[in-house]
Order: sequence, then structure tokens, then C-alpha cells
Amino acid sequence: MNDRIVFEDVSKFYGEILGVNRVNLSVPPGITSLVGPNGSGKTTLMNLMTGLVRPSRGRIEVLGYETDDPENLFKVVGYSTQFDAFPRGLTGFQFVASFLRLAGNDAATAEQLAWRAIERANLTEAAHRNIAGYSKGMRQRIRLAQAIAHDPIVMVLDEPLNGLDPLARSEMIALFRAAADRGGYVIISSHILHEVDVISDQVILLSNGYVVAEGKISEVRSEIQDHPTQILVRCSRPRELASKILEQEQAIEVAIHRDEHGLLLKTRDADRFYLALNQLALNGIDIESVTPADDDVLSVYEYLIGSEEAIR
Amino acid sequence: MTVAWWEQVKAVAGLEMKKTFLARRGLWIYLVAAAPVLLFVAYAIVMSVQQGHNVGLVRQSDRPLAYQDLLAVRPGMTKEEVTALLGRPPIRDHWIENQPRGENASVRISHEFYQYSDGQNQLFINLADGTVQSIDIREGYNLGRDSVVFASIFQFFFLRLVVFFGCLGIFMNLFRGEILDRSLHFYFLTPVRREVLMAGKFLAGWFATCTIFVTSELLQTAAFLWHFPPNLRDQYLYHNHGLEHAAIYVGVTVLACLGYGAFFLVAGMFFRNPIVPAAAILIWEGINPFLPALLKQISVIYYLKTLCPVDIPTPPGTPPVLALLIWNSDPISAPLAVIGLLGVSLLALYGSSLQVRRLEINYTTE
Repeated sequence: MNDRIVFEDVSKFYGEILGVNRVNLSVPPGITSLVGPNGSGKTTLMNLMTGLVRPSRGRIEVLGYETDDPENLFKVVGYSTQFDAFPRGLTGFQFVASFLRLAGNDAATAEQLAWRAIERANLTEAAHRNIAGYSKGMRQRIRLAQAIAHDPIVMVLDEPLNGLDPLARSEMIALFRAAADRGGYVIISSHILHEVDVISDQVILLSNGYVVAEGKISEVRSEIQDHPTQILVRCSRPRELASKILEQEQAIEVAIHRDEHGLLLKTRDADRFYLALNQLALNGIDIESVTPADDDVLSVYEYLIGSEEAIR
Repeated sequence: MTVAWWEQVKAVAGLEMKKTFLARRGLWIYLVAAAPVLLFVAYAIVMSVQQGHNVGLVRQSDRPLAYQDLLAVRPGMTKEEVTALLGRPPIRDHWIENQPRGENASVRISHEFYQYSDGQNQLFINLADGTVQSIDIREGYNLGRDSVVFASIFQFFFLRLVVFFGCLGIFMNLFRGEILDRSLHFYFLTPVRREVLMAGKFLAGWFATCTIFVTSELLQTAAFLWHFPPNLRDQYLYHNHGLEHAAIYVGVTVLACLGYGAFFLVAGMFFRNPIVPAAAILIWEGINPFLPALLKQISVIYYLKTLCPVDIPTPPGTPPVLALLIWNSDPISAPLAVIGLLGVSLLALYGSSLQVRRLEINYTTE
């Protein structure tokens, strides 16, 4: 069994409208976030990897399973979509348990798995209420419960944190983290970039149906040559340090931090800059901390896709 | 593996059953299924009232009459001849008519109206100046005639319209309804082969339509037999193929649900708008008698017509085109008809199974 989610030269067109084009990906275990503006192709990628839509060209494999083989694929995959609709007339418990029965579980196992998933989604009290009476957050959670009820290795979650309150969000994030730590694959699309930043092991940036970048955020950032790296240096004597740094060639811009306790600078060669900074520290300049200032999803997103595009 | 598939088929059917029976958009199907029952109930009520009236007439008659006695009355007979033949009329009415003749003259005509009954049929006699002018016999219950009426309603109303549109409502919604509700993806995201899912949904639809329309058919039979005297009913059921016919009607209904179900399942996969395939299939079924022999076999009604237990006679003077609709010009044996219908249904289901594998979830285009 292949241990990756693989897209080989995948394109998807809806008539003449481009969904995604020439996508090549190899997604490892961990939490992978799909980031991009509206219509960038995030949901199309998720629908492709779960077989809800078929590629116009190319090939997709999820841990070695073809996406047109639902019988095997969905033993290892769970997908929580953005579609906010449910089969009519079912309670939360019936909804989760019914699809577990459909998956081939006997009644007792289905019931047990359904309760466990509902407890994980923190919906126990509402489990016997009709879904039609659920709030948006509850509907989101019951979808999540249904997607994870059979303990899939691969969780594909389209905007899973939408509509959840802060406590539920942190519980869900912990749940995703735990799944990833167990060696699972958690594919998430989210428009809340600071959350993506916190929870993701790697990101896939999409724009207009194309994959703009993929990998760990720091790796992606280091490959962006057009924008100098921003570094925050915390120190007690920022003006003295600024003058010393400007004597070096590596820094192209230096600014005193607003709180007067550090410097915000830009460099095109971060490695050489760090070496030079070490030298300055050895020469008696007191440096408290050195941290990259734009090594996050938001910065990477702005550099690669542009802040003017609406993001979600 | 097949055991697992069968378990999944049962699970899908179980999940579908409640939705299929209680779908809000399918409530009209119950009304359609009730229509022929109401027709027979209304007929039975009218016949029962008439029967009660007949009993009253017999009670008031001088002597018991036979049907032949009623038929013996002819126009031109005098009222004395009529009363000699049938006795004093239990119901009699008379009035005088002044018919103008010339400018200031008129003629007085004495009209009389007699009504007799043999307990089952009614005879109405109009007399003018003591001579029979016209007669009218209104027949009461007649199992032979009524069973032909039942067969006609079964073939031309129940099968071709009620079951047809009922199956359209249920089977086209099996997938299309889920797409409109935006809930089909839940089924596609379970470890179930799409063909198994289709089979489960089809079985649920078949079970639902069979339950609804077989119930309707049985209620029609009950309503049809209700107004007959018990001895006549028993005679018909147990000694005159009545039970056998009822069983065949149930079987034909079950096969109709299978055939139309398979047709509408595949249509629901290819068409977004049910009106187009419904009209196409309705026309195709309608023109079936005029098609070449080979094309005739790609239909449902061709086989069902062959299986129906009562031949509907073509009344004299029926236009040839209409006669062709009634008469089965290419009859085949019952086993062949069943095999043929199963074959056509399986072909349609095979088409559905190919299409369901290609089906994509793209609700925004719906």
C-alpha cells in the first residue's frame, strides 16, 4: 500500500470552467492545509481525492486506492464536506449510525461507533434530536462525527472549524492533532490563516486552480526569493545594534521596533545574516532573541497569492 | 463478498424505506393510488343504493318478475297488456299534456310512467294515451360486464397512468431527489459500491411502489365486489376464476412496478427534468401497438397487456386505431412475457449501474 495521497498531472474542468489544472502532489501523513481564495480549487481537490468528482485528466491515488473504488477507499477515508444538508427526518444518532450500518457494521458495532464519534464531537445531549433542529455549529459537528466515526486514516475536512465556538474549535484541533500524531492524514481547508498556521504540518497554496506552493511553511517561505526575509531581533540597545548591522552587507532594511526593545530587519540571505549576528553577539551586543517575522502562512499567502484576493 | 453486498443492499433499502414512504414530495402518489379505489367505491355506493331501490320495488309489486318478463314489453303495447304481463306498477306517475293544434285548438294527451324491477334490473316505461311509447332497461349488477369494466380500468387507467406516474414519482426521486436535497454525497462517501447502492435504492423503491399499488389493487377488487350479493361474490371468487384473476392482477402490478421502476431509475440518472423522460416513455408506451414487433418488446406495457387475465372486447364500430390500442395484436405466452419484462428491466438496471458509476456530485449545476 502506498503511504501517500498522490495527484499525478490532475486537471478538472466543469464544462469550460477550470476547477484545477495540472496538479501534482504527494501528500504525506500529518495535518495538511489547503489554502487559497474563493474558487482557487480547494473543494475541487477534496472532491477529487474522495471520488465525488472524476478528474478530466490525470490520476489520483489515496494510500494506493483508486478514487473510483469506494468500497475500499472509504474504509480509510472520511470526508466532511461543506454541503450543509442531510438526509431528511434523521436524528443525529440515526444519521451517524445509519451510514455506519451502510458501511457493513452490525447494529451493535454501528451503535457503539456512533456514540463514540458523537461524544468526540461533543453532541451527546442533542444526539436524539432531529438534525433539522440543529444550529449551524451542531450541524458542522454532526458532519464531523459522521466523517470520523469509522476511524479513518485519512480525514478530509472542508472548512471543519466553520461555525464552531472557540472551545469546540480547540477541541477539534486537538482531535486533528491526535489523529495526525497517530500517523493519520488530516487534509483541511480553512480560511482562518492563523489557525492554519498553528495546526498545519504542511500547506498547499492554491490560486485559480493551480498549486502555487506546497510543503512545510518554513520551506515554502525560504523558496520565495522575491521577498526578503523579515527577522525580529529582541535586544536592550536596538540603536547600537542597528548601526552595527547596517555596517554588514546582509541587511537591506533595518527599523527600530515600536516598543524600542528590538529591531525589525530584512535580509536576502538569512543564513549569512545569522552568522554575522552571532559575531556581533560575541563582540558584546546583548541579544535576547532572534525570530523570523514572516515565516507564517499569512505572509507566504500574501507573497504568493496577494493580499488583495479575498481569502477563505 | 456477495453476502457483504447483500447486507449493504439491505442496509441501503432500510435507510431508504422511511424516506420513500414518507417523502413530502411523494404524497401525491398516495392520492393517485387512491383514485381508482375511490372510483370503484363510488360505483359500489351507487349500485348499492340502486339495489336497495330495486328491493323496494319488488316488495311493492303484485308478483315476482324475471328479467325475461321485463324484456317482453314492447313499444305499441297497451297499458292493459303491460299490467297483464307485469302486474300493477309499483311506481306510477301520470300527467296531462295539452298539445296545441291549429290556432285555437289543442289536443289533450294523457302520459303515464311505470317503473318495475326484477330485484336486480329496472324497467322504465313511458305511455301516451294508454300505449307504450318508449322503454328503458337499467341493468343492475352484472359480474361478467363489471369484470370487463374492471379489466379496462386496470389496463387503461391503473397500469398506464396510476402505476406509471407513481413509479415516476418514486423511482426518479431515488437519486434525483437526493441531488435536489444535496444529500447524495453521504451515500457516495461510504464504503459501498455504487452498483450496490443503486440496487438498495431500487429495492426500496420497488418495495414501496408494490406496497402502495398492490394495496390499491386489492382495495379496488374489494370495492368492485362489495355491492354484489355474498353468494354471487363467492361463486365468482371460488368457482369462476375470481381469486385467480385477483392474484394475476397483483402479479401484473408487481411486474409493472419492476418494469416502470427500472425505466424511471435509469431516466432519473440521465435527465434532470422528469417531464422529458416521463413524456417520452408515456408516448413510447402509448404507440407500442403501432410499433414493429422488435421495438414492441422494448416496453413494459407490451408484456403487461399479455399477462392481464381478462380480454377486453372491442365494441362494434370502434375505429381501427382505437381497436388496435385495446386488442393485443402480438400476444405471447405468459412465461415469455414474464421473462421478456424481466429482461427489459434488467437491461434498464444495467444502464443505471453504468451511469451511477459515472455520477458526480456537483450540486451547483442542479
